[in-house]
Amino acid sequence: MTLLKQPMAIQGIGCIGGFGCGNESFVAALKDGYSQTTPIESTHPTGQRYLPALLANTDRLTDFVPRRSLRRIDHFSRMALLGGYLALEDAGLAVEDCGRIGVIVASGYGAATTTFNFLESIIDDGDSCASPTNFSNSVHNVAAAYLSMQLQALGPNLTISQFDMSISAALYNAACWLEQGRVDTVLVGGVDEHSSLLNYCYQRYFTDSVVAERIAPFNFEQQSAVVAEGAAFLVLSRQPQQAKYGVIDSLVAGDFNQSAVKIDSDLLLIGADGHRSYGEIYAQLSTPQPVYNCTPCYGSLPVGQGFDLAVAALMLRNQECYGIARQPSRESVEVNTFNSVSSLKCTANDQFSLIRLSRQECDHA
Amino acid sequence: MSHVCVSGIGCLCAAGDTLDEAVSSMMAGQRHAGDPPLFEASHPHTFPVFAVRSFLPETAGDVFLRTSQLALNAAQQAITQAQWSGDELRKLRVGVCIGTTVGSTMDVESFYDEYRQSRDPEMLAIDCFLDSNPAAVINRHFGLNGPCQTIVNACSSGTDAIGMAAMWIESGLCDVVIAGGADELCRTTYNGFASLQINSPVLSRPFSVDRCGLNLGEGAAVLILESEQVREKRQHIAAQGYVLGYGSGTDGWHLTAPHPEGRGLKQALAEAFAMSGIDRQQLAFVNTHGTGTKDNDRVESLVLADELPTIPFHSTKGYTGHTLGAAGAIEAAFTLAFLQQQQIPASAGFSEQDPEFSVTPVLENRAISGEVALSESLAFGGNNAVLILGKGEL
Repeated sequence: MTLLKQPMAIQGIGCIGGFGCGNESFVAALKDGYSQTTPIESTHPTGQRYLPALLANTDRLTDFVPRRSLRRIDHFSRMALLGGYLALEDAGLAVEDCGRIGVIVASGYGAATTTFNFLESIIDDGDSCASPTNFSNSVHNVAAAYLSMQLQALGPNLTISQFDMSISAALYNAACWLEQGRVDTVLVGGVDEHSSLLNYCYQRYFTDSVVAERIAPFNFEQQSAVVAEGAAFLVLSRQPQQAKYGVIDSLVAGDFNQSAVKIDSDLLLIGADGHRSYGEIYAQLSTPQPVYNCTPCYGSLPVGQGFDLAVAALMLRNQECYGIARQPSRESVEVNTFNSVSSLKCTANDQFSLIRLSRQECDHA
Repeated sequence: MSHVCVSGIGCLCAAGDTLDEAVSSMMAGQRHAGDPPLFEASHPHTFPVFAVRSFLPETAGDVFLRTSQLALNAAQQAITQAQWSGDELRKLRVGVCIGTTVGSTMDVESFYDEYRQSRDPEMLAIDCFLDSNPAAVINRHFGLNGPCQTIVNACSSGTDAIGMAAMWIESGLCDVVIAGGADELCRTTYNGFASLQINSPVLSRPFSVDRCGLNLGEGAAVLILESEQVREKRQHIAAQGYVLGYGSGTDGWHLTAPHPEGRGLKQALAEAFAMSGIDRQQLAFVNTHGTGTKDNDRVESLVLADELPTIPFHSTKGYTGHTLGAAGAIEAAFTLAFLQQQQIPASAGFSEQDPEFSVTPVLENRAISGEVALSESLAFGGNNAVLILGKGEL
């Protein structure tokens, strides 16, 4: 049963990641089915010398924020800022319209690089000489804070950290705010960043695996995750007439084994991102609808479901199927028009979230 | 907001291992501070901290961060008081909403040091971090299947977690929510607050002219929130209190300093009063954020003078230290207990009026009259959150 009492209209989308910046770049990568990885030289002597990663470039942020204002803002927050600005631009909202919007940022790991930089300052310079700038920029809500400062978004502001379930957790709150009238519009999204330590951890955890250059999303027994970074934001509204990309009309989450999971959309996007430990649930899915996966375009990161929501919204608006189909020959024939797309994300400990997007507001009766 | 019932409260902090112990200790004026018990640092002098005294982690074989152990302890206390069995809870839509800072941060110093030295460190620290999301730990422990999230809004996390949990109940997302906050003392935050020069070398003095920073603390508090429908079937269980209103506002000003005129805090207050329908004069008292830093106390005093000039107020940070993501939840638990006792403890550490301030905290334990009180939290990032809480029916 959906946890939503009323649909949330998707008014704008803003994404940056290994595919580039903005909807056009994202759609181009989705049509290709993958993004080119960047080889990162390992800083550690053991393991493979080069590791693939999908990295984001935030140069376009200077279109929205003066360069001097960015001096102290780290890469993590820059990604969130750029994703937020792109979503607002896509929604046709100006900064002047942001005074009463709510902001929710989801992140699995937070500002990891700045956190490690702070630890480095302690280790190198001693406890008494730890870096105050790194400390204040390492707090988990730093990206949401910069969004509020740059946009002068003075409404409610939350940061959520629930690893792979961070996006669905953020949506609970957005739904409550909109339904109870705290705000009319919510900027909600996810951000996570690459760090060399994170890549090293991947190596350590998956020592028995050959490092994959590209995610093989439907090979559930192969570890093929590629560490990625990026930000994916949506502008959500209470007003159905603002639904440029349709509406989010169903959200179900919980323990897969305790829930009767019913997928009732025309298409299904699964968030299988190359982690073998998550693959079992996806592997046992038996659904009649065509199944797609877009993780080779944006990579493996805790807030990956944010990108899948953006993909679903773009698919609905453009009436095109993106990414890789599980059975391409059959589905390419059968998929003509579709009115709903669901995003399914599962975790290693059997948690799942299933979010449905529809072209029109559906009848909740 | 309809009256969201609190049927159980769990709390542990330096002032006590239970809510009753903590309230008794505060009323007796005790301040249990000392050197950090679980880590060392090389500053020229130590900064006193408020550690949970009797609760020690089960180190061997236990893979949860201390933060999550504290959260679980508080949750168990609260569920016991609310007289819920695990089987009964699992039949309902039960959410978990917990605030933290340390509990979601990958500040694995020794691991990082070894990694930098090109060794291959044990992965235990990373395993521990990945398994210790406080909300997920509680969710898994009790076998629940409802909304589950950890809020990381820095020092307002605990207040926001309870406020959002009340909104989940209000929206019909959940029948019951296990809501609160937890944080442990750790070297990273200890060094971090020292780097910002707001860690006090002496016991903190909230609102006093000679205040010179905060003392860090640790602890957890968890409230069991219930919908009116659940409540109707459980009239025999005493209500420990009610969440009547929640408001939040953002300064949009600075990463670590509050807006000089308290813009976000004023907005949070306005929203909470509007949501609750409570008149300001109904407030029996205000539990302030009151950390003892120059900026925080100045802005809070200014807002109190503007918005609630006649309402008695105090800070309990002098008894618990600043427990960061747990603070809002611990202080919500205290606020409900003080309403029940119709008495609040003196604001510990105050010695002399700041001539800049036109308001003064409560200097001695004081009897209060009224059934409604307010607890407020300010945070890095410009987050401000307040809860309006109502007295229970014990």
